[in-house]
Amino acid sequence: MTTYKRRAVTAGLAAAGLLTTVGCSGADTAATGGAPADAAKLKLTATTPAAQGAVAKVNWLLEDEPDSLDLDTQGTSAGRVVLTNVCERLYQLQPDMTIKPFLAEKAATPDDRTLVLTVRDGVTFHDGSALTADDVLWSLKRHADPDMEQSDEFPNVASMEKTGADEITIRFKKPDALFTKALAGDAGIVWNKEQVEKAGEDFGTPGQTDACSGPYALTGWKSGDSITIRAYDGYWGEKPLTQEVVFRWAADSALVNALKTGAADGTFAESPNTASALRGVKGLTQYYGLSTATLDLIPTERGGLKDPKIRKALSLALDRAGIAKSGYGGFVEPWASPVGSGSWGYAKTEFTAAQKELAATSPASPDADDIAEAKRLIKEAGAPTEPIVIGTDATQGRTVVANAVRAALQRIGLKGTIKTVPTAQFEEFYSDPQARAEIDVLVADWYISKSDPMGFYDNGLSDSSNNWVGFKDATYDEKVRQALGTLDDDERATLAIDVQKLFADAAVWIPVAQVPSVLVLDDELTGAPASQAYLYYPWAAGLGAKKG
Amino acid sequence: MPVRLARLLAGFLATLFAASFVIFAAVYAAPGDPAVFLAGGRDKLTPERLAAVRAQYHLDEPLVVQYGRWLWDCLHLDLGRSFKYSDQVSDLLAARLPTTLALVAYATLLFVVLGVGAGVLAAVKQSTWVDSAVVGGTTLAASVPSFVAAIALVSVFGVQLGWFPVTGSGNGFAGTVHHLTLPALSLALGALALISRVTRQAMAEAAASDHVEAARASGIPEREIVRRHVLRNALGPIVTMCGLVMAGMLAGTVVVETAFGMSGIGSLLVGAINTHDFPVAQAVLLLMVTGYIAVTTVVDLVHPLLDPRVREEARTT
Repeated sequence: MTTYKRRAVTAGLAAAGLLTTVGCSGADTAATGGAPADAAKLKLTATTPAAQGAVAKVNWLLEDEPDSLDLDTQGTSAGRVVLTNVCERLYQLQPDMTIKPFLAEKAATPDDRTLVLTVRDGVTFHDGSALTADDVLWSLKRHADPDMEQSDEFPNVASMEKTGADEITIRFKKPDALFTKALAGDAGIVWNKEQVEKAGEDFGTPGQTDACSGPYALTGWKSGDSITIRAYDGYWGEKPLTQEVVFRWAADSALVNALKTGAADGTFAESPNTASALRGVKGLTQYYGLSTATLDLIPTERGGLKDPKIRKALSLALDRAGIAKSGYGGFVEPWASPVGSGSWGYAKTEFTAAQKELAATSPASPDADDIAEAKRLIKEAGAPTEPIVIGTDATQGRTVVANAVRAALQRIGLKGTIKTVPTAQFEEFYSDPQARAEIDVLVADWYISKSDPMGFYDNGLSDSSNNWVGFKDATYDEKVRQALGTLDDDERATLAIDVQKLFADAAVWIPVAQVPSVLVLDDELTGAPASQAYLYYPWAAGLGAKKG
Repeated sequence: MPVRLARLLAGFLATLFAASFVIFAAVYAAPGDPAVFLAGGRDKLTPERLAAVRAQYHLDEPLVVQYGRWLWDCLHLDLGRSFKYSDQVSDLLAARLPTTLALVAYATLLFVVLGVGAGVLAAVKQSTWVDSAVVGGTTLAASVPSFVAAIALVSVFGVQLGWFPVTGSGNGFAGTVHHLTLPALSLALGALALISRVTRQAMAEAAASDHVEAARASGIPEREIVRRHVLRNALGPIVTMCGLVMAGMLAGTVVVETAFGMSGIGSLLVGAINTHDFPVAQAVLLLMVTGYIAVTTVVDLVHPLLDPRVREEARTT
């Protein structure tokens, strides 16, 4: 689950499948309290204003307890939010979603197939030992192990070697444009070899120390209760303003209540319903940030949506603005591509223009022309005889999307039925073709960990397991492979825009809306990034008091 | 008594053994494949990878072999490692058990004191406005599901008035009591109604018996009659019901835990079921069943001590 990953907890119910009613009733009741937002007016920022003063302790909320603090064996958002302050990577994702070399002080590419990293000098791990090139090499090899989460970032790597006292050379079988971006993600974490080996099987479980070099050290994890991190005195970079962060976790209404009553100082809200419930609450400020996350419809190759013309017709008839307003309190924005604007880590202007063009195939609110065109497409393709089965779970947002899909189908003369399953079973639609055999389209959400649209578009390759409709296009495959091997950002952007167009033309997926990242923060605090970089950037280090 | 004790213990073990198999098989039969979760992401869901994972976790062996392996490890106090948390299951349980036990203990205290109290009051003041008020009030309480009670209590006493914390389980005795008051109250509300009804009924029956009439005729003060004759005779069904309700609570805390953001055994179980975390789900269920059987066995043991008639019966059979 690395390059592309479902937002595991957007449903906000990961831990409460049996409790859908309970969880939702709480959140929904609360959700009606806040004023709806207007997505078009949400200002997406990279970061919050800089902090002026120090803070002794901040209480932070996660939507679930992390599975593990070893992101190689179990990588979840909750674990990342904590660990990104504790562990550092060879590259660093910035709040504006660009990347820069980090623990690798310098990076050189003598040719397209070679990457030479110079390891930063003067960095110490939390146990006081120096970070060396040996640790870097050992960590890279650990990430690349087929049993580890990040191993799929290394298919093009031919060799990784230490070629100097502080130098690692990575050679590739073919050029890999996304590799340095992966090094800004979990594949670039540098572990303290000694500590990881000492902890053995228990590494990353409660009661263990960390094995990292970041601005904070892990000082405690009481299983089922809280995780505490404290500023590390020997940190090589700038000292953090906040001395201690205590993480606790709660879902739905419990999370909302904790923030409302001041029991917690902030959270990165993964569910738009949480943001909606906390909108306008006294003492709290919300910031909306760049993110790669989107809501999508993923058609399967079963039934009527197997035909690209029917898929395009559905896309033309879908009321995206309506979904954003009634399903997500205006916190999502109608969108025409399957990746959010946070993926534009380069060539922003070009990607913005291309996105506008795509809006013709995925209108925010369909007008008469769109409906007429959709009807024409259906006539051309021949209307399917069986109703189209829409797979969803019972969460508020997905229910609204499912109903909007049914309404869109109805508008163009087709029939849709909704199949609702429990959240736990819903997750299986993503991975199990057998489970998917009972639905024609899935109401899904998705984000990619890299700030590069090409991190998404390999999902459309003819042999991709996420290409459910069996889309096959030699030009598409060729262009994707070419883009993935193009190191120059401008050239890659041109290819990515072509690829994106082909993907949209065939409606392999039907984009619905982009989902911003939401930071909810106590009024007196500021300084954390608002963008999705919070998963990979030490956000707590910049957090502090508004007034000095 | 020793024979009875041995018989109870044998029954306890036999039930536990049967329950353990049912639990194991049920968790195993739950829809969904844990290998999909264990493989770690969709990019790795190749048939070979899934097969390797199944072999690694012995998921490819017949059910009985897996059960045997599990039982053997359990008997050696090894509950295995969680698939999800990669931590020892025993550590996960040890971390969460105190919260759930404290919650159930607090709720039990509340429903026993308040429930029995209300029941006694209603029985003593039978057919007066007090009786009607207790019956009416408890009927209302019984009809409110615990999650509704939880949400209402949180929003009034937590969010609006700010008297009680809204999440977490607190530290130290005072902190724990402060944090657990609202959750325990939500949990106890339904039980409270039940216990007060049982108490009222049992007291009414005991009060109508001949020896009470006789005692009353011989001029013993009413207070003494209620305490020594009525309540004492009614205690059997009351204690039995309290025990059963408390035992049932051990398995029913999840809703309240979720509403109050507490990490206890209940939320651990639901999380484990959702992620097909077999070792954790099996261990938690086994623990719950053990708790249930243990509490009901204790009630069985205590019953004769309270009621001489039952003691006599136990001796003769």
